[in-house]
Amino acid sequence: MLMFTFVTKNSSSRHASRLLTCGGPCTVSIMSVFMDLNLIQNQTEDRSGLKSLIETAAHLGFSTVAVNYVFEPTTKKKQNIPSPTPINELIDQLPIVQGRSRPIRVLNRLTIVMSDSSHYRPTAAEYRRFDLLAVYPTTEKLFHAACMTYDVDIICISVTEKLPFFFKRAPVNGAIERGVAFEVSYSAAIRDATMRRYTIANAIALVDTCKGKNVIVSSAAEKRLELRGPHDAANLSLLFGLSDADAKEAVSSTCRSVVLHAERRKSAGGIIHTTKTSPEETPPTPDDRDAPAAKRAKPLETE
Amino acid sequence: MVRIKSRHLLCEINVTDRNCLLLLDDRAVLAAVKDTVLRMHGDYGAARCSIGFSVKYLNAHTGIVFLRFPKNCYKLLWSALPFITSIESRGHKISCFFNCLHVGGTIRTCQKFLIRYNTQQLHRMLPKCKNEEEKQEIRQAILNCSLLRGKKEAFEEASESEEDEEE
Repeated sequence: MLMFTFVTKNSSSRHASRLLTCGGPCTVSIMSVFMDLNLIQNQTEDRSGLKSLIETAAHLGFSTVAVNYVFEPTTKKKQNIPSPTPINELIDQLPIVQGRSRPIRVLNRLTIVMSDSSHYRPTAAEYRRFDLLAVYPTTEKLFHAACMTYDVDIICISVTEKLPFFFKRAPVNGAIERGVAFEVSYSAAIRDATMRRYTIANAIALVDTCKGKNVIVSSAAEKRLELRGPHDAANLSLLFGLSDADAKEAVSSTCRSVVLHAERRKSAGGIIHTTKTSPEETPPTPDDRDAPAAKRAKPLETE
Repeated sequence: MVRIKSRHLLCEINVTDRNCLLLLDDRAVLAAVKDTVLRMHGDYGAARCSIGFSVKYLNAHTGIVFLRFPKNCYKLLWSALPFITSIESRGHKISCFFNCLHVGGTIRTCQKFLIRYNTQQLHRMLPKCKNEEEKQEIRQAILNCSLLRGKKEAFEEASESEEDEEE
């Protein structure tokens, strides 16, 4: 269980990281920064749309976002898996996150919409170009396989249609044990009233089965007006049946463990893991200099 | 005697075009929130927000709004806020979204938070300036609000003056 050993770099930054306990295999997890792991890359629109999305996410206080490329294979003809556009081509300068003094981190994510088991190829070289890998199973058999065997990070839950199958305890527990997270996205619920019913019903069915563990809440926003702030998203997920602590983790520390899981998947099961360290990337005390606004001025730390 | 407790939500209204914000008034915001609560939670929610819910403060220049909710059901009513997509005001439909910045027990803590938040916004704005005049203006604004902090003056005025500079 290498991915559950969270190490904080500077334990002196008390305001930035609050301790909170959660049940399960990870006894103590760090309340980390907010993440939104699903921003839809709109193919028809030019890149200014994505740019304004990322800027809005930084303004709202998300420290990490993932640009989602949806790949829907059909049986008729062979399609190419989209290749991610490097983020420095999209935006020349990444915006600074609200309340922190560092630029926003942008990841690339691939979502495979699966209706047949041949759609997921475990050893495809195209998958290696993405930071995160997600599947969207549409049948019960594929859901079972995705939970138990597929080497992915996120399993998406349908939010736009009636639940195509019932969630069973066995595959869901298997996925939790392997560290695979389930994703509920809320922007369909904002757009339309019937979608809202499907989203809430499916999310409650999932949360009942997994008891609130390993659930992440993401936006799936295409326009900047569909994004919501991290506190709003956490409070919104109370409607999905999550408890207070689980709702907060759904936008922060579960997302962090998903990102760590993705790194472990890419680096030979986490046995060997190298990190690139360069002096300009790790400033000495990055969090303390520009802490989030509080109602009272915090005294400066003297060390 | 136990007093009635409430929660104050400090929200920021985000729009694409900042000029639309000037069309807002507190009655429009109140109507939008009540309408959304009715849509999301039905008659129960509407009844819950009929007593003890009010819009305490609205700044149309910056889009800052203080909402007051009863303490025992503020989470229920807050969960309806993300579903607001537009506000109907003076015949115009302003598409926007609410971003909750702070939840406080009193207005005073919200004001304190807002002052710090707006100061931070000024600091963030400084590197983005294009010409020297804007830069000088923002420097002056930061200086003004850092001088004010030492005195225990009415917070209302302090926050107002900062926000005007930000515009």
